[in-house]
Order: sequence, then structure tokens, then C-alpha cells
Amino acid sequence: MIWNYFLMAAGVSSASWILSALIPKKDFIRNLLVLIGILSMAVYIGFLWNSLERPPLRTLGETRLWYSLFISIIGLITYYRWRYLWMLYYCLFMSLLFLFINYMHPENFSKTLMPALQSPWFVPHVVVYIISYAFLAASSLVAIYGLYQVKRERFDEKYMLVADNLVYLGFAFLTFGLLFGALWAKEAWGHYWTWDPKETWAFITWMGYLVYIHRRYQKPRKYVSALWILALAFVILLVCWFGVNYLPSAQFSVHTYSMQP
Amino acid sequence: MSKPTKPLWQTPWGYAESFVIAFGLLLIGFLLEFTIQSNSGVSIKYPMNLILGAIFITFILVFYRLIRKSNLYHFLSGVPASVGAIAVLTLLVIIMGITPQVSMQEENLITRLSLNQLTTSWPFLFINLYLLVVLALVIVRKSFPFRLKNWGFVCSHLGLWITIFAAGLGSGDLMRLKMDLYTNKTEWKAYDNNGNYYELPLAIKLNDFLIEEFNPKLAVVENESGKLYEATKPSMIMIEDELECTLHDWNIKIDDFLVSSGRVGEKYHQMYDFGAAPAAKVSVAVNSSDTLSGWISCGSFNRPHESLKLDDNYSLLMTVPEPKKFSSKVTIFTPDGQKEEQVLEVNKPQSVNGWKIYQLSYDEKMGKYSNLSVVEVVKDPWQVYVYIGIFMMMIGAIYMFWRGNKVTISSEQ
Repeated sequence: MIWNYFLMAAGVSSASWILSALIPKKDFIRNLLVLIGILSMAVYIGFLWNSLERPPLRTLGETRLWYSLFISIIGLITYYRWRYLWMLYYCLFMSLLFLFINYMHPENFSKTLMPALQSPWFVPHVVVYIISYAFLAASSLVAIYGLYQVKRERFDEKYMLVADNLVYLGFAFLTFGLLFGALWAKEAWGHYWTWDPKETWAFITWMGYLVYIHRRYQKPRKYVSALWILALAFVILLVCWFGVNYLPSAQFSVHTYSMQP
Repeated sequence: MSKPTKPLWQTPWGYAESFVIAFGLLLIGFLLEFTIQSNSGVSIKYPMNLILGAIFITFILVFYRLIRKSNLYHFLSGVPASVGAIAVLTLLVIIMGITPQVSMQEENLITRLSLNQLTTSWPFLFINLYLLVVLALVIVRKSFPFRLKNWGFVCSHLGLWITIFAAGLGSGDLMRLKMDLYTNKTEWKAYDNNGNYYELPLAIKLNDFLIEEFNPKLAVVENESGKLYEATKPSMIMIEDELECTLHDWNIKIDDFLVSSGRVGEKYHQMYDFGAAPAAKVSVAVNSSDTLSGWISCGSFNRPHESLKLDDNYSLLMTVPEPKKFSSKVTIFTPDGQKEEQVLEVNKPQSVNGWKIYQLSYDEKMGKYSNLSVVEVVKDPWQVYVYIGIFMMMIGAIYMFWRGNKVTISSEQ
């Protein structure tokens, strides 16, 4: 059931997004198609939430669903604000990629939720992170695009403003994710910070973007090094997000839920 | 692009000097660690941490008075110094994120440099102190003279400073102990991770330990290896009354499901005795004409489990139910003669006499028949100061979200 509806929702989203890329000239129809794709994901997540009787935020597969929802929304919002069509398509492409990964690796959409995760902090903690990751992913796309334009010697300072704005918004959410996690940990495990591997990597991610912000603050005109820092910070973010489980330190983590049977 | 590079240590100092200082501190820290290893068992407790904290703040203020007109002040309160400190701390934390942070017995380079226990090592302490000095000078520089437009900046930076300072000093006073509570027994002793016992200013009597469980799931295992068969997903399906489902290639029907039962003769009956376990009668369509049927049960600590052989290679079984919720009904006594009834639950700690009490675990082999409830008792007198810092950082984050990148556009120095 859950799986068939996923195929249906993912199918509608993919079809409408791909279609929207084919008619870039007709503004209204294209935006409508993008919106239909987003709505189809939103409805599916709502259905999943309802049928699992818990917020679908536990497994990687479930968080990927949210990610593809939020990154497509943010792509649309960024397009409205800055009119970068390429950004919209990159975001939609990322969304599709995550749906495709879910299609390749269906997870156990299981109903059980361990007691430690049954907390009012759960949804804000994860949702804030997912929004943050979507902003920061978008900023790293700007960084890569910027570096490419630098190479072609067609760089425009406008790109830095977009990157900065995305990083500022993403970093604000990242800070909230980190601090919500700390407050929750105090309620659930007795201490707000235990250097759990996931915490450690979240902290490293936070520090990475902190370096970028400080660098930009001091030398706004030295954008090449800032762009590299931004690209590198996203690599760290990826390690934090799904690389942690494969590191030697992860065997002691409280954040590896998918390993339990 | 090339421009003449400034010799090292010629003012104004920049990134090169910043990184040399930060890495220098790291190096000194590791050398110190190598020669006289920091003893991770020793922590600075009240009132020593308070005194050291006061000395540190005085040091920063005196240091500021001495250097405030010099280039050093401009350097230490500037962005390159901050970036150097952040970068080197990040490097240290990356090591921490890769290597397991657990105590090890053997003597090798990792343990000599305390790479397995970095949070209690000299280099970590040095970098944090350096970061606190730099951050303090940054805050001072932005606060005096105070301009209203800088409030967001000061709020987030001061919040971070308070958080690091209070969490660092408070770690010596933090006590996290465990207590084993047995049904109908009163306990007032708690133990730490090293097995040392402490008497607490409170006693806890466990009146009842309760577990709510999810329904068990259906799963297929390989007969030979006992491994979970995961050819298609989902590989486990939760059992419900009258469930009909397809697991891999088998069509399974639940004819009867008993949450609490025991086997008598040929079949399971509803039972609620000590050790009663869930059981289900299942029918499996093996091919178009044949149907296999039988009872399966996950068993309990005193009942055997039972599976249904599907063919020579695979069996259908019932998994042990996962806990949905577990809680302890307790009576808490304090030395002044007070007593109160409380329920301890995961994510719902209770505060008594300056201690917070958390439901931690139970005897998992016994499952819902456990008469042991393990609770954690935590005392953290510095928590409120850390929280002040955290809330200031949150306000700073909201400010940042609101302003976007408008604040970054400052002239090149």
C-alpha cells in the first residue's frame, strides 16, 4: 500500500517536474507543474504520517522524502525571489534524485518508534535540520556554479549575494537544529552534549559554515576562497548526514536507529 | 593575482600568523599530552572551578587593559584570529569524529596522544581557552562603545561564549549516576561508570514497572544460517488481527492472534501468567493448491519460541515485540521526611532535590516481566548558565534569519 502510493506520488512528481523542464518559456504553466509536483509529495508525506501513526522522520528513506519536498519548495521560492531558472531546475533535479534513491532502496516503512524518539522535540529537531540542509545544499550549488563561472571568467558578484543569503538562512536553521537537539538530549538522555559521533559531525558542519561566514564578513571581495570553503563545508555536511554511520566512531552512536532489527 | 607576500610576524598580522599560533597551541598541547598525560579521571570540582573561572575572567580583563591600544588587540579581536581558532578546533573535532572516543587499555600512539579521549586532553583545553580569549576580545570590541545595531552580533557571540565557559567549568560538577531499582525495594545508592557508589540525598522505591509493547512482526529467516531473509522490502510486517499480507513470495493470513498466551497441547490459549508470550495462528499459501498452517510464537524468557517451516530453506517466525513505552511508578523520599509519588518515563524526567531522574532501561531479557528498572540520576548545577547561553544563540540565529546577508557587506580591511 505504502509502497504503491509512493510509486504513484513519485510518478506524478517526476512527470510534472520533467514536463516543467520541457516548457521553460511558459511561466505560468511551468510554475503550476512545479507546484503540482510539490503538492503530490506533500500529500504523500501526509498520507504516510497518517498511516504510520507517527511522523515519518525516522529512517533515511523517510528523511529523503522530506528533503525532496523541501528542496523543491525552496527551489521555487528562490526562483521567485532571485529569478534564477537554473536554480529551480537544479533543485528539482536534486529532488528527483532523492526520489530515485528511495525507489532503488526501499526502506522498511515500519510503524515502530522507539521510546527515546517519542518526544515533542522530535519533529522540530529533524524538520529544522532538513530545511537547513536544503538551504545549504542550494548554497553549495551556487558555489559550484560560481566556481565554474570564475573559470569561464564570467563571474558576477550577484552570485555571492545569493550564496550568502542561502548560507545565512541555512545556518540559522542549522543552529536551531543543533540547539534543539541539545535541549532534547537533556530531557531524554540526561545531558545536553555528549560528543556522540552524529553530534560531533553536526558541530563540525556548523563550524565549517562559520568559517565561510567569517571569511565573507572580512573579505567580501575574495570570493574564490569563500566559494571553495562553501563547497568543502557541504562535503562535511554530507559526512554528517549519511557518512557517519560508516565511520569507526559510529558504533557508539545513539543516532543509528536503522541498524536495529 | 600575485602580490608581494608579507613576511611572517610583520604587522598587521593576518591568516598566516593566526594559523601559526593556533597550530602552535595544538602542537604544545600534544607535546604536553605525550610527556605528562592528562589524567582523565580527575575533574575540577566546586569550588575550584569557580575560582579558576574567576581567575580566567580577570585574566581576560587585565589582558584587555594591557593590550587594548596595541596591534595585538586588533589581531586577536579580528576575523583571521577567529578563523584560525575555529579551524584548528574543527580539525581536532574531526579527529574526534573519526576515531572512537572510548578508553583503551593498550599503550600506543593513539592512547599516548589521548586521541581516543580528546575532550579531556591538553590540546583540546588549550584551543578552547584560546577560542574563549579571542571570542571575549571580539565581544568587547563590538560592545564598547555599544551600538544598537550590533545587538544581534553581541547576543550570538556572547551566548556562545557563555555556553562554552559554563559547559566547560560545569563538567566537573556534573554527576551522572545510575540506580538499579527492584520492584518493592527502596534504593538510595547510585553508581558511576567506574563502579563507584554514592549515597544520594534521596531514596527511590519502585512500586511498579510497566511496559507497553508494539505488536510483534512477521519475518522470514534462512533455516541454515538463521539470518533474516531480505529479498524484498519490507522484510518484516507487523502482526494484526485478521491481517492478510504478502511477505516476499508468500501470501500469509493471520487466523488468530493472541497478545498474551501459552501453549497447551496442540494450540495456544489466552493466558496472563508470568512469562506469557504473544502467539499467532497463520496460514501460508505455498502454491495455488497447498496451504500451510500452524502456530508461531516469539516466546519469552521462560517459554520457547516456535516458528513455521515454509520449505527446506526458509521459516516464518515472529519477532520479539519492541517496546512502545516503558515507565516506573516510584515513591521518592527525601531526608526532610517528604515523599512523593512520581512516574518516570523516557523523555519525561522528574526533578527532586536538585537531581533529575531519568528512566533509562530495564532487564531486556525479561522484557515486560522485568522487575528491574534502571534510572539515571543527574545533577548539573551549571545547566541554567549553559541554557542562558543557548537561548542567546537562538535569539542570534533568529536575528540572522531576519537580516539575511545584509550585515556582511562591510568594507575590505
